[in-house]
Amino acid sequence: MMSSNSSSSTRLFPEALRRRVHRAFDGWLRRRGPTLPPLTLHYRQIFILPTPFGWMIALLLHGMLLGSLNFNNSMGLFTTFLVACTGLLSLHLAYRNLEGVRIESVHAEPVFAGQDAELRVALREGAGRARSGIVCLLATGPPLEGVDLAPNGTAVCHLSVSTRQRGVHRLDRVRVRTRQPLGLFEAWSWVHPGTSLRVWPRPAEPAPPRPESSTAERSSRAGDESDEFHGLRGWREGDPLHRIAWKASQRHDQLLARQFTRPERGRLVFRLDAVPAASVEDRLSVLCRWILDAERDGLDYGLDLGWTRIEPGHGEAHRKRCLDALAEHP
Amino acid sequence: MRTRLTSPTVLVVLAAFLVSVAPHLMAMPPMLWLFVAASLTWRLGAELRNWRPPGRLIRVGATFLGLGLVILHYGTLWGRRAATALLCVMVASKLLEMYRLRDGRMVAALAFFLVATQFLFSQRLELLLWLLASCWLAVAALLRIQRDEDAPRTTPVRSDHVGVMRVLKSGAGQLAFALPFALVLFALFPRLGSPLWGLPEEALDGRTGLSDEMSVGEIASLFNDDSPAFRVTFDGTVPARDRLYWRGPVLWRFDGRTWRRVFYANRPVERVPSIDDDSLRYRVQIEPTERRWLFALDYPARWPDEVRVSANFELLRDEPLTTLTPYTVISEPDFVDTPELSPLFRRLATELPEGSNPRTRERAIELRREYPNDAELIDAVLRWFNEGPFFYSLETAPLGRHGADEFLFDLRTGYCEYYASAFAVLMRHAGIPTRIVTGYQGGFWQAADDYLLVRNSDAHAWVEVWLEGRGWVRVDPTAAVSPSRILDGARGAVPGAGNWLDAEWIFALRNQYDRLQHLWNQWVLGFDADRQQSMLRRLGLQALGVTGQAALMIAAVLLLGPLAWWLLGLLRRDPQRRDPIERAWRRVERRLRRRGVPRAPGETLREWTPRAAGAIANGGELERLAETYSRLRYGRPVPEPAVRRFLERCRRWRPLVDRAR
Repeated sequence: MMSSNSSSSTRLFPEALRRRVHRAFDGWLRRRGPTLPPLTLHYRQIFILPTPFGWMIALLLHGMLLGSLNFNNSMGLFTTFLVACTGLLSLHLAYRNLEGVRIESVHAEPVFAGQDAELRVALREGAGRARSGIVCLLATGPPLEGVDLAPNGTAVCHLSVSTRQRGVHRLDRVRVRTRQPLGLFEAWSWVHPGTSLRVWPRPAEPAPPRPESSTAERSSRAGDESDEFHGLRGWREGDPLHRIAWKASQRHDQLLARQFTRPERGRLVFRLDAVPAASVEDRLSVLCRWILDAERDGLDYGLDLGWTRIEPGHGEAHRKRCLDALAEHP
Repeated sequence: MRTRLTSPTVLVVLAAFLVSVAPHLMAMPPMLWLFVAASLTWRLGAELRNWRPPGRLIRVGATFLGLGLVILHYGTLWGRRAATALLCVMVASKLLEMYRLRDGRMVAALAFFLVATQFLFSQRLELLLWLLASCWLAVAALLRIQRDEDAPRTTPVRSDHVGVMRVLKSGAGQLAFALPFALVLFALFPRLGSPLWGLPEEALDGRTGLSDEMSVGEIASLFNDDSPAFRVTFDGTVPARDRLYWRGPVLWRFDGRTWRRVFYANRPVERVPSIDDDSLRYRVQIEPTERRWLFALDYPARWPDEVRVSANFELLRDEPLTTLTPYTVISEPDFVDTPELSPLFRRLATELPEGSNPRTRERAIELRREYPNDAELIDAVLRWFNEGPFFYSLETAPLGRHGADEFLFDLRTGYCEYYASAFAVLMRHAGIPTRIVTGYQGGFWQAADDYLLVRNSDAHAWVEVWLEGRGWVRVDPTAAVSPSRILDGARGAVPGAGNWLDAEWIFALRNQYDRLQHLWNQWVLGFDADRQQSMLRRLGLQALGVTGQAALMIAAVLLLGPLAWWLLGLLRRDPQRRDPIERAWRRVERRLRRRGVPRAPGETLREWTPRAAGAIANGGELERLAETYSRLRYGRPVPEPAVRRFLERCRRWRPLVDRAR
C-alpha cells in the first residue's frame, strides 16, 4: 500500500526514516484516543489548522489591521475585526461539522495486483445535525468528492487505491476532513481502518498450459442444461418448472423432470512447486491464471501451496478462497 | 472534488466584486471604470453565454493595459488613489481568468481588502451599510466556492439557484453572529497612541476644502458642495453668528489674478494671546481634506502640540488631514494683532502689480484726498458698497486683466471673493496695508445636539486691514453688500439659487442626518487611544496597560461566545419544548434518567414505561402518568383543568427507589 503511493516526499527523505516517522505518528494518534472504526469523532480525534487560503486571508487581515491601527481608521479596523471574527467562527463551524460524525467501517474488496481497489468508508451522522462537504482521503492520495450527511443519515465515501504488489496489505490511515464552511480552516481526523486489503496476484499473461487432470478423481453429479440429457425421474419439490417434461408427464400420469449429467471432467489440484516458472511471484501469477481459467471452464480445482491445501471445488466462494490463499502466500 | 467554479458561484463572486468596487469606481476617471466595467461585463457574458475563455495573450495584454491606464492618469503608482485604482484594475483583469476555485477565492478575499481601502478616503456613516453588504456577498461567495469544492458528484449544478439563496442566508447568519464579537474587539483592541508611519504626502484629488491661494471665482465650486467641512462643539457660550469667522490661509501677494500666501508669514507666531474667562473654548472635528490647514476663530491662543501657528494666526498641521481629525482650540477675540507693522510687512501688504486696475487707482487717490483718516476711508468704501448698485450673487461673470476695475465699475455683481479682492486692491491703492483671509463663515447650529455644522458651502473670504493702534482689523466687504450672507449663509443670500434639492424639507432631512453622522464621528470614528482609555476609566478599569487590556478583550470574547450560543439556542429551541405538557413529561423522564433508567433514543413510550416502572418502587404511578400523557398528547382535546391536574402531578412526582432491590 505504502509503496503504491509514491510521492515527492519519498525522494526527499530516506524511505526508512519516513516510515519510522509515519509509524511514530500512528502510535501517537492511537495513544491520543481510539482511531479504529466504528468510531465517533470527538475533540480527541479532531485536528484543525488553517488551509493555505486561510493563511493567505490571515496575512491580508494582518496587513489591514496594521494599516487601520496606524491611521486610527475606525471603519478599517471594524472591517478587519468583522472578517476576522467571521473567519474564527468558521473555525468553530468546521469543528462542529466533523464532531459527532461516526465512522462505521472502512472496507475494501480484494483486487488483482495492478487494479485500483475501492475503499469504502461508511459514515453515519449521530448528533442530529446535517453535515456537508465531508471528504475522505488517504494520506497521500488526491482528494475525491465530498459527501453530505442528513441528520441521523448515512453515506459512503469511495476512495480509490492503486495496487502493485500481491499480498495482504494493512490499510493505511484515512483522513476524514472538512473545509466547510468558508475554506479557511481544515478540520480533520485520522482513522485507522483496522482491516486489510487483499491483493491477488496479477494473472499471468501468457501462462504456461494448465496441467491436465492427471491427479484427477472423477465424479458425476446433476448439472444444468448445458450438460447432456441423462433421463427422466420423478418430479421433486424444488425442481425448476422448465425442467418438467410436460409431454412425458402426461403419458405417465405423474410429473417427470428431465435429468442431466455433467460430462465427466477433471478435478485438478494446482501445486505451487509444480508450476514451471522461476520466481515465487511468477508462479503465483500463473496459478492465478489457471484458477480463473478453470473456474471459467467449469472445472473443479484445488490448490496446494505447501503451507495450505484447498480441496477441489468450484464456484465464486471457492474461487475467492483460492485467490485469497494466493494473496496470503508468505 | 471540483476545481472549477460553477456558474451560480461565478455570479455570486462577481456580485461581491461589483459591490465592493462600486465606491472606488465613482472616484475613478472614466477610462479606468470603463476598464473595470468592461471586464466585469465580459466575465458575466462568458458565464451566461458560454463565451470562450480568453487566450494568454489577451489576459496579459489586459493586465498591462490596466497598469498603463493607471500610470497614464495618475502619473505614479504611489499614493492612495493610484494604488487602490491599481488594485481595482488588477482584480478586474483577474476576472478574465477566473475559472478555477482558487481564482474565485482570491477575488472574494480581495473584495474584503477593497472594502478596507475605501475607508482611507471616506468613513461616512452610510458606508457602514455598504461595508456590511460587501462583506456579506464576499462571505456568501466563499461559502459557495467551498460548496463547489465539496459537493458530491451527484449534485446537479444548474438547478442551484436554491443553493445561492441558501449561501446568502447562511452568510448573513454567520456575519450577524460575528458582529457582536467584532464590536467587542473594536471597543477593546488596544489602539496605537501615535502612528508607526505616516501616509505618503500627496495632493488628493484636490476636490475638497479650501486651497491656500485664491483666484477670484474659485470658491464658487465650493458653494455647491454641501458636504460637511467640520463640526464644532463649544464649551460654554456660543459666539454670535456674525463673529463666526473661521480663519484659514492668509494671503498677501497679488499678481493681478491670484492671491497667494507669502513666505515670510510662515515664521511662528510671536505674541500668543493671553486667555481669560471670556475666551472661546471649543473642540473641532474636521473632515479629511488632504491639506494641512485647520480652522479657528480669531485669535487662537492655545492649540494642540502637533499644530503650528504662523505669524498670521494660521493653524497648520504637520501631516495632511487624511482622516477625521479632532482638535481643541482656545481663542481670544479681544487681542491686538501686530500693533507695530515692520516696514517689510508694510511693503508686502501694499504691493500691487504695476499698471493694473487704473480706474481703481484713480478712485483710491480720490478717496484718499477726501478722507485722510484710514478708518473713515474704509467706512466710506463700505458705505459705497452698501448703498451703491452692488449685488450679491453666485451667478456672475469671470473677470479679465483689470479685475478690480471691471468689478467695481462695470459688473458689480459677485460674491465674497469678488468683493474681498476688489476691496483689497482698492485699499492697497489707497496705501492701507491689506491682506485677504480665506476660511469659513458661520455654520448651521444643530440645537438638538449642541454642535455647529460648518459645510464646505460656508467657505468665505474677507479682508484684514492694518490700522494704526488697532493692528490688523477684520473688514468683511461682503457683509456690507449683503448682510444676510453673514446672517443666513451663502444660500440664504441668494434667493432662488440652487436647484430642487434645496427644498426646505430636504434641507431639514439633511440636517437630521448630519446629527447621526456627528454622533457616528464622535463615537465611532473618533474612537482613538484617548477615548478608549477614558471609556475604560469610566468602567473603572484604569491602568490596565496594553497586556491587561488584551487580556480583558480575550476574556470578553470568550465570555461572549457561550452567551451568544445560549441565546441562539433559545431562538432555535425545539418548538415541542414550549408545550407545557411535553415539558412536564420531559421532567418526569429526566428524573428517571437520574435514577439510572434513561429512555434510549428510538425507544417508544410503550416500550420504556414498563421497563422504567419495573425499576422503581412506585411504578404504578408512572404507568398512570404515562397513560395520561399519551392521551393528552395524542388523543382528543381535553378541558383545561385536566391538563393542569396532569401538570401538577408531573411536577410533584418523584421516582422512589426500592432500596431492598
